Amino acid sequence: MAQRGGAQRPSGGGQGKICQFKLVLLGESAVGKSSLVLRFVKGQFHEYQESTIGAAFLTQTVCLDDTTVKFEIWDTAGQERYHSLAPMYYRGAQAAIVVYDITNQDTFGRAKTWVKELQRQASPNIVIALAGNKADLANKRMVEYEEAQTYAEENSLLFMETSAKTAMNVNDIFLAIAKKLPKSDNNARSCWMLQVITFKTGETM
Amino acid sequence: MDAGLSEDELVARAREERATIASRYRLGREEGAVIDSWEDPELEIYHTTDRYGFIHDGRLPQSRTKEESKQLDLEISRLPKWLKMIKSWDKYWGKEKFIKRVYKGIPDRVRGIVWARLLFLDQMKEEQKGKYEEMRRLGCKWSTDVRQIDLDVNRTYRDHMMFRKRYDVKQQQLFHILVAYSMYNQEVGYCQGMSQIAALLLMYLNEEDAFWALSALMASPKYAMHGFFIPGFPKLLRYQQHHDKILEKFLPKLKKHLERNCIDSGLYTLKWFFQCFLDRVPFPLTLRLWDVFLLEGERLLLAFAYTALKLHRRQIARLDMDQILDYLQKKLEKNFGYEDDYVIESLEKAMEELRKAKLDHPGAPPDHELPQQPFGMFTEPSVEKESGVRRDFTEEERLITERLMKRTETIALNGSHLSVDRGQSPLYSANALRLNLCPSSSPSFFSLASSPHCPSLSCHSSFSPSLRCAGKQNSIAVSHAPSLHHLSPPCHSIIHPSPLSPPPYALACSPPCLTVSPPSSLSSHSSPSLSTPPSPAHTFHAASMLRVPHCSSPFSSPVSPPLCSSPTFYKVSPSSSSKVPPPIGHSVFSFPTPISPFSSSVTASQDVSVVFVLWL
Repeated sequence: MAQRGGAQRPSGGGQGKICQFKLVLLGESAVGKSSLVLRFVKGQFHEYQESTIGAAFLTQTVCLDDTTVKFEIWDTAGQERYHSLAPMYYRGAQAAIVVYDITNQDTFGRAKTWVKELQRQASPNIVIALAGNKADLANKRMVEYEEAQTYAEENSLLFMETSAKTAMNVNDIFLAIAKKLPKSDNNARSCWMLQVITFKTGETM
Repeated sequence: MDAGLSEDELVARAREERATIASRYRLGREEGAVIDSWEDPELEIYHTTDRYGFIHDGRLPQSRTKEESKQLDLEISRLPKWLKMIKSWDKYWGKEKFIKRVYKGIPDRVRGIVWARLLFLDQMKEEQKGKYEEMRRLGCKWSTDVRQIDLDVNRTYRDHMMFRKRYDVKQQQLFHILVAYSMYNQEVGYCQGMSQIAALLLMYLNEEDAFWALSALMASPKYAMHGFFIPGFPKLLRYQQHHDKILEKFLPKLKKHLERNCIDSGLYTLKWFFQCFLDRVPFPLTLRLWDVFLLEGERLLLAFAYTALKLHRRQIARLDMDQILDYLQKKLEKNFGYEDDYVIESLEKAMEELRKAKLDHPGAPPDHELPQQPFGMFTEPSVEKESGVRRDFTEEERLITERLMKRTETIALNGSHLSVDRGQSPLYSANALRLNLCPSSSPSFFSLASSPHCPSLSCHSSFSPSLRCAGKQNSIAVSHAPSLHHLSPPCHSIIHPSPLSPPPYALACSPPCLTVSPPSSLSSHSSPSLSTPPSPAHTFHAASMLRVPHCSSPFSSPVSPPLCSSPTFYKVSPSSSSKVPPPIGHSVFSFPTPISPFSSSVTASQDVSVVFVLWL
C-alpha cells in the first residue's frame, strides 16, 4: 500500500509531511504571470497565453528533503481594474511572486508598488519573491539585473530573473520560496503528515 | 510610475506609444509592417512540449465525427425554416415557435444574421450613423486603453484562424472595435474580458456590427454588462449574491460542500458572468448559450450557472478544492459531459424552476450599475489618466473589495480543504475512503462527504487528529494514536518545537508530554484519561504517529474537551487495492471493524497498512 512518504515498522521512520501554502502572483499586465505558472505546473509555454480574467487557480507540489510542499497558486489578472480584487487573493497568502518584465521599466515600477502593498496589507510573514521575467529577451533589457537585485536585497525579497519561455529559473524560484517558508509552524495554510505503517500478519500493535 | 520622467514627459511618451500602436493596426500586414517573428505564429505552433522536450502537435481528426456530421445535417435541415423566419422576421420574432427554435440552436450559417436582429443592430446603426467611424478615429488618438487593448489583441483567440496572424484584418478590426468602444463608453473604457467577447462577435458579424453588438451588450438593460465591467464590478457582487441564494434554495448540499472547501462563488462565477461562459464550456455549447443569452438576456447567466452546477453536482461532491476549481475552470471546457441538446433542455427546466421560485432575476439594478454619462461624447483624458499613473481606489471600489473579502473570509472560517485520498481513481474500490480533513482556524466539527460507506464522517478540525465516523458504526474511521488532549497541560504550551529532525520525533521532547495510557488502565474507562508514561509499544505509536504541535500554535485556546474525548482506535484492514500504490497525497483505507479505544493489543490478522494523518 501507500509507501510513499510513509514508514515501515519498526523504525516508524520516514515522513509524509506535507505543507500546504497559498501563493499569489501579482504584477502588471502581460509580464508573464500566467506563463510562469503554466511552466511551473504543466511544463508548458504558450506564446499567446490568453489574458487572465479575474484569477485562475492551480496547484503544484514540490519535494524538499523532508517535506512535500504543496502550492495553491492564485494567478491574478494584471489590468489595473482588477487590482481591487487582488486583496481577495493575497489575503492569507503565505507567499507571493511579484513579476515584472525585464524589457519594460514601467512593469518594474509597478512591481515595486505591489511589494509595498504586500508589505503593508498582506500577512506580515509573507515570503515575497521578485521575478524579472522574459529573461530570454535580454537584448531588449530595460531593467538592469543589479538594479532589481539591490532593490530586492533592500526589501528582503527573494529575487531571480526568470524565463517562462526557456524555463530558466522557473522551478528554482518556486523551490526557493518553498525552502524559505517555515514549515513546522502555523505559517502554513495547513501542515500535515501522512504516515504509513505496515504490519505483517501476526504483528501486534 | 516612472520616477525619472516628469508628468509632461510621461504624457508625451504615452501619446507617442499610442500613435505607434494605432499606426501598426492601420497598416495591418501591408509592406513595412513591423512584426516580430514570435508575434506571428506558424500554424504548427499550437503544440505543447513535454517535460522531456518532445514537441506534440495536437491535431484534429481528419474527418468529422459522427456527432458532428449529425449536427451539421440537422442544421442544414433547419436552414429553410430559419431563412423563412428571417424573411418575415416581424411575424415570428418573439413567438413561441421562434423562441423554441433559438433554444434548439441557431444554424451557424445564419447565426450572424439572427444575432444582429436579436440585438437590433440595424436600428442602432441607423440612429448613430457615422458614430463608429468617429469613435474609432478619436479612440486611436486619445484612448488611454490603447496599450492594454494592444496587449490583449495579441493574445485573444490566437488559436483561431481569424486572429492567428498579427495585424491581420480581424486583428485590426478587433483592435478598432475595442479602442472605439473605450472612447464611446468612457466609464467602461476597456476591461480585460471584453476582447474575447468582441472577438466572438467578430466571428459572426462585420466590424461595425460587432461594435454595436458590444455596445448593446453593455448598455441595453436586457444584458447590462456595463455593471460588470466598470471599476469595482458592482454587478458581479450582486449576481454572486443572487447565485448564492439560488444554490441555497436548490442545491444546499452542494453549497455546503463548496463552502467547506473554501470555494466562494466569486472564484468561479467571475468568468462565467463576465463572458457568458466563454472558454468555460466547449465552444459549440458556448454558441448555444449565447443564442439563448441574446434572446433572453442576463437571466441566462444565473440560470446556466445553476444548471452547470446542478448537472455536475454529484461529481463535484466527490472533489476537493483543487479538483473543484480545476473541474470548473478546465474540465468542463474540455468536455462538458452531456450532449448540448440535453444541456439546453436542462437549462430551460432550470429557468422554469427559477421563475417559479421568483429567483430567475435579481431585480432592477441599482443606479450605480447603470451608465451615468452619455455615450459617444468626446472628452480629452486627464493628465493623470494619460500619463498612466495609477489612481487610488474610489470609495466604491474599496467598499466592494471589502464586501468581497468578507464573503471569502466567512467561507474560509467555515471550511477548509485537504483531502488525503483523491477518491476519484477507479483504482480505489468502493470501500476506499476519501478522507477529507479539515483543519480550520477554529476548532469545530465538520460533517464530511465521503464514500457511500460512511455518509457522514466527521473530523475534528483542530489539533486532535482523531477522526470519527459519525455514520454507520462498522464503516470507517481512523484515529491517529492518542488524541492530543492527553497532553497536559493543554497543548499549546508544552512541547518544544522540535526541528525537522528525522523520526522518531515526539518523544524526544521533555518533559514527557505524550502520555499514553497502558491498555490495562483503560479497560474500565469509557473515556481515556491518562498520565502514565508510555509503554514501549505505545512509544512506538506516539513516536511514529505524532508530530508535536508547535508552541505558537494557531489555536491559542486549549482544545475544548468534548471534541477531544474518546479517541477511537479502529482496526484497519488492507484495502483491496493495496497492491497499487496510490499517488502522492493519496491513501486508501478500509476499516471494517471498530475496535475499542486503546485495546490492549491489536494483532494484525492479515498484512495491513495503516495510513495516519496528523496535523502539525
